[in-house]
Amino acid sequence: MTHTPILAARDVRKRYGAVVALDGVSLDVERGEVVCLIGPSGSGKSTLLRCLNALETVDSGTVAFEGRDIRAKADDARLVRRRMGMVFQNFELFPHLSVLRNLTIGPTTVLRLDMAEAEQRARALLLRVGLIDKAMVHPSALSGGQQQRVAIARALAMEPALMLFDEPTSALDPETIGEVLAVMKGLADDGMTMVVVTHEMDFARRVADRVVVFDHGRIIEVGPPAQIFEAPHAARTRDFLSHLGWHGESIDIGIKEKT
Amino acid sequence: MDINFQPLLDSWVFLLRAIGTTVLLSVLSMLVGFVVGVFVGALRTYGGRLVGALLAFYVDTMRAIPLLVVLVWMFFAFPILFGVRIDSMTAAVVALGLHLGAYVAEAIRAGLTSVRRGQMYAALALGMSRTQAIRTIILPQALIRMLPPLGSLFTIAIKDSAIASVIAVPELLRQSQTLAGQTFRPFEIYTSAMFVYFLLCYPVARGTDALYRRLSHLGSS
Ligand SMILES: Nc1ncnc2c1ncn2[C@@H]1O[C@H](COP(=O)(O)OP(=O)(O)OP(=O)(O)O)[C@@H](O)[C@H]1O
Ligand SMILES: [Mg+2]
Repeated sequence: MTHTPILAARDVRKRYGAVVALDGVSLDVERGEVVCLIGPSGSGKSTLLRCLNALETVDSGTVAFEGRDIRAKADDARLVRRRMGMVFQNFELFPHLSVLRNLTIGPTTVLRLDMAEAEQRARALLLRVGLIDKAMVHPSALSGGQQQRVAIARALAMEPALMLFDEPTSALDPETIGEVLAVMKGLADDGMTMVVVTHEMDFARRVADRVVVFDHGRIIEVGPPAQIFEAPHAARTRDFLSHLGWHGESIDIGIKEKT
Repeated sequence: MDINFQPLLDSWVFLLRAIGTTVLLSVLSMLVGFVVGVFVGALRTYGGRLVGALLAFYVDTMRAIPLLVVLVWMFFAFPILFGVRIDSMTAAVVALGLHLGAYVAEAIRAGLTSVRRGQMYAALALGMSRTQAIRTIILPQALIRMLPPLGSLFTIAIKDSAIASVIAVPELLRQSQTLAGQTFRPFEIYTSAMFVYFLLCYPVARGTDALYRRLSHLGSS
C-alpha cells in the first residue's frame, strides 16, 4: 500500500518543566481533510499545532509531513514550514508592513519570488478574502476580522499544502467571527487540508471531516462530527460539550493567549 | 560690558571647519555606536550563553568607565599595548562609538524583547530563518519602539563629542579654546559654541520625536 497521510504525528510528548503539555499524541491527517481540535483551555492544542510545524521541538515521538520527518533543529523544518500555513489567535500580522507587503514578504524572502509576481499573487488573494481595497493600508487600520482574513491570505500566499489554525476567531468580536469562518469554509470547500483548533462548535459540526477531542495532553476521542456532537463516547467529551453549551460565547472570549 | 564678535567673524573659516569636525565626529561615532549596538543587542537577545556573557561584559565595562577615561586610554594606552599609532580623530570615533554602542545595545535589547513571541512564530511559520525573521520582522518594530531613547542617545553623542577636545581633535570646543586664548574673547566664543551645540542637538531631538509620533503605530503588534 503506497498511501501515506499528509501529516502523521506518532506518540508525541512535550513537557514544559513539570507541566506535561502533550502526553503521547498520535494523529493522522489525510489530504483534503478538515480536522477540528476541541478541548478545554490548557489541554495542549496550541502546543500540538506548534509541534506539527516544528515551531516547537518534541521531547519524544515523531511528526512526518508529506512522508518526511520533521525536526525543529534540522534545515528540514524550514522546508516543511513553507509548505504549511499557520493562522494565530492574535493574527500576528506584521504591523510595520502594509497589508500587501505582509502578503509578499514570505514569497519574496523565502521563495525568492520576484516582487511583481508576489504582488500579483497577493492581490488575487486579497480579492479572494474581500480586502483588495485595503492593500496599501497598515494592519492597525483594520478591524480584527479583517486582520485575520489578511493573516489567512498571508499564509495562503506561500501556497501551502496544509493550513493550521489556532483558535482563529477567539480574539474577535462576535460580529466579525462570521466573515473569518466564511473564508475558512471557502478554503475547506476548495479542498484545502486544514487542522483547526476552535471553540466554534457550529463550524466544527458543519465543516469538519473529523473532530478530535483533547484533554490533559491526550486525545480522548476522535470521530466524525455527528458522532462527537450527538453521541460522544467519552464522559469527558460530554462534560466539555455541555460546559460549552452552558456558556457558549463567553468561554471563547475569556480565553487569552498564554505567552 | 565690552562685547565684540569681530574676532569670531574674522575666524569664520576656522570655526566652520571646527563645526564640520564636530558633525563628522558625531555622525561617525553614531554610526559605529548604532551598528555595534544593533549587533550586540541582537546577539545578547538571541545568541548563546557564552556570547551573551562576553557581550554583557563589554556593555557593563563601557557603562562603568567614564567616557573621558575610555577616550584617553584609547589614545594613549592602546598604541602602547598594540604598537600601532592611531590619530586622535580615529581614537575619538572608536571610543565614542564603543561607548555609545553599549547604551544603544541596551535599548535594542529592550526593544527586541518587547516584541511579543507570536511575531517570531509568525515569521518562522512562513519559512523564514531566525536571522531573516529578526532582520525583517522583529528588529524594525524594535527600532520604532526604541526611537525616543535612541534619539536621546544620539543627542548625547553630539554633546559628548566635545570630550574629544582633550586629545586635541580639532572639533568645536577645542578650536574655541584655541581661539579664546588667542583673542581674549572667551565670552563671545564660548557663548557661540554653546549656541552651535544647541542648534546641532535640538533638531535631532525634535526630529526623532516627530518621527516617533509618525511611526509609533507601526511598531505595536
Ligand atoms: N512556552 C511555554 N512555556 C511553558 N509552558 C507552556 C508553554 N506553552 C504552553 N505551556 C503549558 O502547556 C500546557 C498546554 O498549553 P497549550 O497552550 O498548548 O493549551 P491549549 O489547549 O492551546 O489551551 P488554550 O485553549 O487556552 O489555548 C498549559 O499548561 C500551558 O501552560
Ligand atoms: Mg491555545
